[in-house]
Amino acid sequence: MTALTMPAQPRQDASLRPVPWRRMAWVTWRQHRLTVAGLVAVLGAASVYLYITGEQLRHQGFVSYGAGPVLSLTAVLFQLIPPLIGAFVGAPALARELEAGTFRFTWTQGFGRARWTVATLAPLALAVTVAAGAFGFLFSWCYGPQIDGKYVLSPLAATTFDLREVAFAAWTLVAFAIGAVAGVLIRRVVPAMFATLVAWSGLAVVTGAFLRRHYEAPLVTSNPNLPNGAWIMSQRWTRGGKPVSLSTVNQVLQKIGATEAAPGHFAQNPAFGQSSARASASTPGNASPAQYLLHHGITQLATYQPASRFWPFQWIEGGWLLALSLLLIAATVWLVRRRAA
Amino acid sequence: MTIDKGISAAGSRTGASPPGADGGAGSTPTDGSTPTDGSTPTDGARGPASPVDFRLNAASGVPTYLQLVQQVEHGLRLGYLQPGDQLPKVRDVVASLAINPNTVLKAYRELETKGLATGRPGQGTFIQATLSQVALPELTGLRHSLLGWLATADTAGLDEDGIVALFTSALREFGGFRGVAPPGQQGRERREGSDDRRAAASGETEGVA
Amino acid sequence: MNVIEASGLGKRYGSTWALRECTLAIPDGHVVALVGPNGVGKTTLLNLAVGLTAPTVGTVTVLGGTLAGSAAALDGIAFVAQDTPLYKYLSVADMLHLTGNLNRRFDQGYAKARLGELGIPLTRKAGKLSGGQQAQLALTLALGRRPRLLVLDEPMASLDPLARHDFMATVMTAVADDGVSVVLSSHVLAELERVADYFVLLSRGRVQVAGEVDDLLASHRVLTGPAAEADSCAERLCVVHARRGEALAHLLVRTNGSTDPVPPGWESHPVSLEELTLAYLREPGAASLPGPVRAGALPLETGEPTEVSQ
Repeated sequence: MTALTMPAQPRQDASLRPVPWRRMAWVTWRQHRLTVAGLVAVLGAASVYLYITGEQLRHQGFVSYGAGPVLSLTAVLFQLIPPLIGAFVGAPALARELEAGTFRFTWTQGFGRARWTVATLAPLALAVTVAAGAFGFLFSWCYGPQIDGKYVLSPLAATTFDLREVAFAAWTLVAFAIGAVAGVLIRRVVPAMFATLVAWSGLAVVTGAFLRRHYEAPLVTSNPNLPNGAWIMSQRWTRGGKPVSLSTVNQVLQKIGATEAAPGHFAQNPAFGQSSARASASTPGNASPAQYLLHHGITQLATYQPASRFWPFQWIEGGWLLALSLLLIAATVWLVRRRAA
Repeated sequence: MTIDKGISAAGSRTGASPPGADGGAGSTPTDGSTPTDGSTPTDGARGPASPVDFRLNAASGVPTYLQLVQQVEHGLRLGYLQPGDQLPKVRDVVASLAINPNTVLKAYRELETKGLATGRPGQGTFIQATLSQVALPELTGLRHSLLGWLATADTAGLDEDGIVALFTSALREFGGFRGVAPPGQQGRERREGSDDRRAAASGETEGVA
Repeated sequence: MNVIEASGLGKRYGSTWALRECTLAIPDGHVVALVGPNGVGKTTLLNLAVGLTAPTVGTVTVLGGTLAGSAAALDGIAFVAQDTPLYKYLSVADMLHLTGNLNRRFDQGYAKARLGELGIPLTRKAGKLSGGQQAQLALTLALGRRPRLLVLDEPMASLDPLARHDFMATVMTAVADDGVSVVLSSHVLAELERVADYFVLLSRGRVQVAGEVDDLLASHRVLTGPAAEADSCAERLCVVHARRGEALAHLLVRTNGSTDPVPPGWESHPVSLEELTLAYLREPGAASLPGPVRAGALPLETGEPTEVSQ
């Protein structure tokens, strides 16, 4: 426009360098600082509990098996932490923008929506992973000696395996990633949170029940004394290479007044006056049911994963969960690029 | 035929203040004085205040730029504006009336074309001349003959609206004799056209929301 | 330079076409009114132009050929969506800081000065501002980016008259100061008539009218005359829409400037933008579009308006 009193057009920048990544640091922090504070608070409280418990246990010398049930309860509670983090940190990251409509403001700014998504998700992913990793190490510090030493449980058992070190961090990261992709697909915060919980639980159940046992080919032994801390996957009786049914075994055992209540567990008939014995531990009496069976040609084959494979399994699980997380986050960014209004 | 008597002799104001420019009598109160020392609160950078402050009557049917032109001419006729006075800066008019800057530019260009104003680059638009004044005896004579014609029309049975309609159509015809108006001057036609509309039977035009 | 250029643009949501065969070339340096009934596709068109959504068919480029939604386009276009989305829990100062961080250039000084003039406190949460203040804040954030194109989607829908006036005053001042091009959409034409110098009418998902306001008003007239002669008149003229009473008829015609003589016994009146809009909305088959603006463009349909129909 030619004008009588208008100033000249502002000078246009010739180069179009993208807005620097570091500018988003403040933005992400400001938008998610409450969430991060919540994360720190919850994990912090749990960590304090762990620390106190750990000190107590050390004081007691890890003697009481009474810690067993307590451990199981806390283990169950702690299993909830990764999916809750995924639901409360991951799901709202994008769903909140889409639900509130603020994406119409934010994604038309100069920064660009794909870069904005990366700059939002990456710091949060890092934060939850580091926080969860620290928590996992603390958990191992607290209960590790009990799990790894006293062999109340196998370290590979699902109860505690994914609460420790690498696995805990990885499960938290994948929960976050599931939350992020749920958020962008569902576009509403609360439904996305639910979907995150459901999806993560499904994945965790499938992994614990089916996947984890196959990370490495399990070992098979006929030795009735399994190594300490072995994670027993199955046990069966054989005679001469062929499987033998439980009823046959019990028939044989009747002669010494014992029955096999459950695979590997024998119960002595009270009429014979002995306490129960377990197949995998050395028995006090002479009439060891397992050896008796051996005499009659019946051996027990056990399929198990040795405790020594704890760390390899941790890395394997951490590895594929990390890959899945990166894939999900990449999918989130791709979806943000594609869909919008 | 009414011409908007919207001249207020106050300084120009900045953007956010509401001057009540929409239809009707929303003119902000003035004190009739002509501050020349730029004493309005936020005036600093713009220099002395202009003696003219525009007003807009959105419902009059007169195009905006023409209203501005008419207000300047009115000010000249009444003596509020003298040669050398500065017209408000485009930005200030736009800020107080919320109209397109092009409209103001068009009005100022029209005034330039009429020889009433001139633009000084970097400074603004200034009044250059006054409207040609018709001498007083001539005015009286014209008025006398007009009254005579009115009496004749009244005898013929023409009512006030009829008189106005007849007059405006004759005025347009006369304007045609004087030469075809350039496209920028179509507003004159539209001004008369809007008077036609007001004079014609109402209710025929489309609803104006 | 065309600030928005669309060619055969169409957008489908599921099985519904929100916009089809939209071909536009909006020149820069204008304040453009995008008008049409509710749900006609104005928001869709604007979303396509600012890159929030992608076309199903056709292309849309902005700022002289840049792909909509690309980094260069995002840099030069500021968008204020309907209902002015803001982060409700952030303070005004935080919103300024946020916008400054998300863009290559942001004039903090200008933004703070404007908010100061408007009396919007920097420490208040954005959600606690009144509707008019939120709109002004969103506008300030947009203008602070010093864009070349400002796109506003029904910006005044929920504002009271005073807030509306202040809002438009701010926009127009920015146009006067920086020469920014503006595209505004609204379903209420009255509020745009004073400010627009380019006009686009969308009807049923298509562009029906597009052109400079001055040209449109100069090329249309309303002829008023005896109803009996209406048909014969219509044969010689290009009638967009006719209204007939018992004795009197009004024909809205399209002319080539003022060279067409007025039929004897008929009166010619100028037409307002509102009348023009209503007439075209009532005649879906009619269109008034400018000729091709660049070599190789698809020939635009300068549709022959329908004959007298009532």
